[in-house]
Amino acid sequence: MFENASPELIITIVTIIVAGIGIVLGTAVPANAEGKAVQKALESIARQPDSAGDIRTTLLIAMALLESTAIYVLLVILILIFANPLISRFF
Amino acid sequence: MDGVFPKVVFTVSGIGIRDTVISSWIMVVLIVVIILIFNRFKPGAIEMLFKTINNMLSDVMGIDATPYMPFLGSIMLYIMFANVIGIIPGISSPTKDINTPIALALVVFFSVYYYGIRDKGLWNYLKSLADPIILLPFELIGQFSRSLSLTLRLFGNIISGEMIVAIMFMLVPLFVPIPMVGLGIFTGVLQAYIFTVLTSTYIAASVESNEPIKELDEEKK
Repeated sequence: MFENASPELIITIVTIIVAGIGIVLGTAVPANAEGKAVQKALESIARQPDSAGDIRTTLLIAMALLESTAIYVLLVILILIFANPLISRFF
Repeated sequence: MDGVFPKVVFTVSGIGIRDTVISSWIMVVLIVVIILIFNRFKPGAIEMLFKTINNMLSDVMGIDATPYMPFLGSIMLYIMFANVIGIIPGISSPTKDINTPIALALVVFFSVYYYGIRDKGLWNYLKSLADPIILLPFELIGQFSRSLSLTLRLFGNIISGEMIVAIMFMLVPLFVPIPMVGLGIFTGVLQAYIFTVLTSTYIAASVESNEPIKELDEEKK
């Protein structure tokens, strides 16, 4: 199928496939982890409503740290799509 | 996708000045004007705002945040305005350019050392970095990687918000992007909070002094 395709076209196609797979994995795993964190935090708030403020602050910080892994994946994929280093450097 | 990434507007002796720089100048003027207006007509509001931030950060740090408030409060105000000002058409938010988060993270990186050395003295601070000597490389890697993660978190959140609005705008130009703009405002304020809280925890881990928290929440009661 790709016998006559130029290397740029192949790299573009591979990049698009990798971006699709990567954004799915890179958002599903942190979303799962954040769901677990929120679940535990809600359980402990329901059990001890006095310490809700502390739990909320810690939860926000932890969510930001978890969220940043998804953001790293997003940034790598943005670099792949909009500023692919392979296409401009080698061809 | 035009308008998501920053453009060079004009060049000064070979150095390109991007539109985010111009909007950050506009933003600085705007912050000063707003603060002056409030200070003239309603001085209690500014005080209440900074007292709220101070209480919040004191809770997070575990020590009194008042000595660090000039730094932390201005970082919080700057990032909050910088994230939110992007909703005005024609002004692009300064944090959309990766150079602004890098600059902020570098300021945080050096200020952590500054506060640590000011509080403990140079030799004690260096000793506290290498408390068991085996942990020194991990400590240094941690110092650098948290600056990187501060940069990328702020930049990635803002650019992804802008990009979602741009994609929605390409599909349906009328009324549909408005919830996404609202989500962008929420994300911007939350990211300013997160950046400040993480900075304050880094500073608190760096100084480790045992001052008791002052009673700041009298007005809340």
